[in-house]
Amino acid sequence: MGLNFDINFMFTAMQQAIKYSWVTMLLAVVPFVSGITLGTVIALIRIYNVRILGRLLQLYIVITKGTPVMLQILIIYFAVIQGFDLFAQGVNLSIRSKDINLIYIAFAALAFFGTANISESIRGALAAVDCGQYEAAYSVGLTRQQALRRIILPQALPVALPMLCSNLIGLVKASSLVFMISVTDLMNAALIPANTNYKYLEAYIAAAIVYWIINIVIEKISFLLERRLDARKREVLV
Amino acid sequence: MGEFFDARLVCEYFPQLLSRLPITLLLVAAATVIGLAVGTVLALFRLYKIPVFNQVAIFYISFMRGTPILVQMFVIYYGLPAVLMTIGININRWDRLIFVILTYGLNLGAFLAEIIRAAVAGVPVGQTEAAYSVGMTRMQTFFRIVAPQALLAAMPSMGINIVGLLQDSSIAFALGIIDVMGKARSIGASTYHTLEAYVGAAIIFLVISLLLEKGCSIIEKRLSMKIIGDRG
Repeated sequence: MGLNFDINFMFTAMQQAIKYSWVTMLLAVVPFVSGITLGTVIALIRIYNVRILGRLLQLYIVITKGTPVMLQILIIYFAVIQGFDLFAQGVNLSIRSKDINLIYIAFAALAFFGTANISESIRGALAAVDCGQYEAAYSVGLTRQQALRRIILPQALPVALPMLCSNLIGLVKASSLVFMISVTDLMNAALIPANTNYKYLEAYIAAAIVYWIINIVIEKISFLLERRLDARKREVLV
Repeated sequence: MGEFFDARLVCEYFPQLLSRLPITLLLVAAATVIGLAVGTVLALFRLYKIPVFNQVAIFYISFMRGTPILVQMFVIYYGLPAVLMTIGININRWDRLIFVILTYGLNLGAFLAEIIRAAVAGVPVGQTEAAYSVGMTRMQTFFRIVAPQALLAAMPSMGINIVGLLQDSSIAFALGIIDVMGKARSIGASTYHTLEAYVGAAIIFLVISLLLEKGCSIIEKRLSMKIIGDRG
């Protein structure tokens, strides 16, 4: 009987997927960048044990790490949509939730998920720097900020890099879940041509290949960066 | 849509959501068993660098780690019956849950393979040499000296991956599985209190994840007591 696999159609779907792959990359990169910014702040707050804030942020991280991304996306989506409508009705605005571009909700939801993971990576990297380094920096008269910027962060970065890379890959993969709130990303784009002829297998394989390529490229870039950082560190030591 | 959020409804939906918990747990348990088996075999291919199998394992692990599990699920759901049809096996009537369990098991296997490989490779060579020097065979060395130490080293990462599997299981509803997540969705669709249903599901997932983590750390402690405990 032979395997009923339409390879030409797979390439058609792949073209669609590539055309929309920028949406997927945007969905991963925007939360990633905001996650690094917020995540560093959160990691520092937790490392310096700021009293109430540190506890609250720990709670945030336990909740995000303990619940599925799928639920986080859906809860934020419904909370924003329903909350916005109530708010708009309350203050007599003419715009409604259906006017919001859903990609912003996807950004917010993925950032909520990504920030927790990224801040844990950064916290782990900061904790991996030896205590003596902080003490040595203080003992030569550096302020806390100077010590962080000149001594601690440069040492923490190479440790954090592989973990941040896997955080970014995690975000690329998690972004496939935005199909639930009907954002057209790479995967949905690949499925559009399949909706007329039911060749879903070809479409999903096309999407998988494009995701795979994106993630391999991210891994390679991270690997190159790691090597550069390593080389620079050796230069400093010599 | 009168009220934004009614906390009482969350409690009201709890029993309905909990009634679907066995499906979620079955999925996680079955996938963990498959994942351990697949992961061990792949790790052995990689460790002993068996030609061809080693390359296949690298390819497989890279694919499973580089693509979303959602896509993998559909590839297996549409692909496996098509492939088996060519050799005359019809599995179109199989329960969808089987495809989901298979996907999650195969996916977990790729992640566990890397963990197991790193753990076994991380046992110092001196341990193996010491075992040989007291006259142990290769098998004895592996099962009595290397494997227990590797298991101990692998436990924390394995625990993290199994918790991750629990959370990924929430995507199974996309194939129409009525687990905790699927039930939350159907409650949301029939009552329009979507937010409350999802928050209820989130609480269940949170509690189960914390319990799983606790369980893993207890097993880890027990194991380390058993393996290296008598050293003090």
